[in-house]
Amino acid sequence: MSNDDKVRILMSRATANRMAAQVSRRGFLGLTGAAATAAFLAACGGSSSSNSTTAIDGTEATSYAKRLNFYAWAEYDDPDLMKKWGDIQITVFNSNEEAIQKLAGAKGTDGFDILTPTGPYIPQMVKQDLLEPLDLTRIHNFSNLDKVYTNQSWDPGNKYSVCKDWGSTGWIYDTTQVKTPINSWADFIKVAQTEASGNTSVLDAPPDLLGIYFWANGIDWTTEKKEDLDAAEAFMVNQFAKHIKAFDSFPGINLTQGQYALSQVFNGDARQGLLSLESAGQDPTRYKWGLGSPATELWMDNWCIPKGAKNVDAAYDWINYILEPANSLTDIKFHGYHTGLKGIEDQAAGLKYKEMVFFSPDQVSTMHSGAINTSQDRLVQIYNNVKAKAGG
Amino acid sequence: MTTRRRRSPRFAQAIPSSLWYAAFFIIPVIYVVVASFGMKVPGSAGQVDLSHPNFHQYGRAFNSTFFMVLKQTMRTSIFGTLLCVLIAFPVAYFLAVKVSERRRGLLLAVLIVPFFTNFLIRTLAWKIVLAPMGLISNFMMSHGLRHSEIQLLDTRFAVQLGVVYNYLPLMIFPLFVALDRLDPALREASKDLGANRIRTFASVTLPLAMPGIVAGLVLVFVPLSGDYITAAILGGAKGNMAGALVAAQFLQAQDPALGAAIAVVLIFFILATLGAFAVVGKMTAEALRRRRAVELPNVPAVDTKKLVTA
Repeated sequence: MSNDDKVRILMSRATANRMAAQVSRRGFLGLTGAAATAAFLAACGGSSSSNSTTAIDGTEATSYAKRLNFYAWAEYDDPDLMKKWGDIQITVFNSNEEAIQKLAGAKGTDGFDILTPTGPYIPQMVKQDLLEPLDLTRIHNFSNLDKVYTNQSWDPGNKYSVCKDWGSTGWIYDTTQVKTPINSWADFIKVAQTEASGNTSVLDAPPDLLGIYFWANGIDWTTEKKEDLDAAEAFMVNQFAKHIKAFDSFPGINLTQGQYALSQVFNGDARQGLLSLESAGQDPTRYKWGLGSPATELWMDNWCIPKGAKNVDAAYDWINYILEPANSLTDIKFHGYHTGLKGIEDQAAGLKYKEMVFFSPDQVSTMHSGAINTSQDRLVQIYNNVKAKAGG
Repeated sequence: MTTRRRRSPRFAQAIPSSLWYAAFFIIPVIYVVVASFGMKVPGSAGQVDLSHPNFHQYGRAFNSTFFMVLKQTMRTSIFGTLLCVLIAFPVAYFLAVKVSERRRGLLLAVLIVPFFTNFLIRTLAWKIVLAPMGLISNFMMSHGLRHSEIQLLDTRFAVQLGVVYNYLPLMIFPLFVALDRLDPALREASKDLGANRIRTFASVTLPLAMPGIVAGLVLVFVPLSGDYITAAILGGAKGNMAGALVAAQFLQAQDPALGAAIAVVLIFFILATLGAFAVVGKMTAEALRRRRAVELPNVPAVDTKKLVTA
């Protein structure tokens, strides 16, 4: 008997990383500390009762088993929601590049059914023949997506991808240690060099790290100009690096441990951190969140089916399932990112820290997509130099 | 009549392990070395063009950043390895010499128990202990020992603590094996000949435990130099290791050629460091032996033939 009808999900490295990191950390925290356990429960949103798991699995008259192998970011979907759908195994990636390497190396034999890459990496994946073209007629819930989040520049006509969720980057700081209000990336840089010196974390990704400088100085963060990159390197290596305490892509989830006074952070992670403070009985108003300004990042992660997926039918079933408004809402409560469904913001009326999930049109107009271009190698080089300098 | 059992050739026993090493060690290393002479295909997700093999990547690998990170790496790994020896030796000695045989098995098992949990999880657990709102900090504040949160996490101290914690058993076991095989009669003989405890330790126990110490040094130093996870988790920005440079080229720059070149240079430096230690060790041992050499007074050679016939 073969189990070859498992569905596997291939996600972007960024998404997979996020999922993986969160899964492992949260699973671990849940085991070890009461406070952390509370945080975990809070993050789950409390919307799904624990006895609802696996109820549906196998009870429907489908011709395929409800099994999937996800390749995704860490802690990226509500575990109860996934259990309710069926049997999902998750492998986590930490960057889109890592996922591409692994998929390209395996040439479709890695057995993933669902992948969650970040938008700008999709053309590269298509070029390398890593993605299965999507049959949108099989995704009847595709029409639930707001037009703003379909037909993106990296995948016109949604031939290979469907929006999973999108988010942005900002900061969170401890008001007991940072007295100066932070309203812009320039403020962020100033505080990191003064009140929060040696106590600041930045995202562990080259474009986001350099983004701090570009966004603060009115430079397009996808710049390929040598003088821009040189200026960013000079500033970040010589003036900024020595103030960095850690390169941490998920500072939010560790907020209860009081590790940093100031962090660059994704909006959903910051929200999970505030929720975990509440459940741990700590005061969440001690920390203040701000969306990056005057410009900041816009990233969108997507549902894709990788080449060689064994459970294609189940993959389509999952994508339809997660595009149901009720399920989408449950997932938002968990991960804290906008899923791009029509009217989902209205349905999320009572959502905690709603302003960290849904942004105003004015805010959205300041967000800019990343790009994979000729500066990729240089960005990594600068990032390595900053790390070396920070390691003193 | 005797039937002779057919013996398989002697090398047969080595076939499984040889195949294993060929498949999972030698071939990947060859791949890395070969890739280091190539070039990344521009715009690709990490294809290596080997049509014009050259040393270009080595030129890129040798830069001031690499040496800065290498210095940080060697500081962490050499200091960590030495700390491991200093801590592991008394433990191994205690286990091998002082503990009763009945208890020894239990205590050795206790040493292995942490390995039942993934090292990543054990390392993450230290974060909870060391964090500013963590166990140590909270304990000290609630007992009036400190008024503000103590910064232990994301420091060099945390890096050394983490690596010693993770690699200590790798040092204890070879030391234990070496000390356990030491015949207690040798120590007694040393005492009978008038040596005190320190002299016995320095002249008998330590030299005979040398093979174990060397094995432990290699077992700890080599993986520690390549480990960038433990240091990054506990040390934050202070936990930068050369392994992270390699990982960044493979996983973020999508440039396996440069990553491979850095990896080869790193392997070279680790081997060179080991070699330097070996030379210094050999010379020290030689010097000690010469100093300790006992000149026997001139005794007329004994004619062995006479002894036999007598």
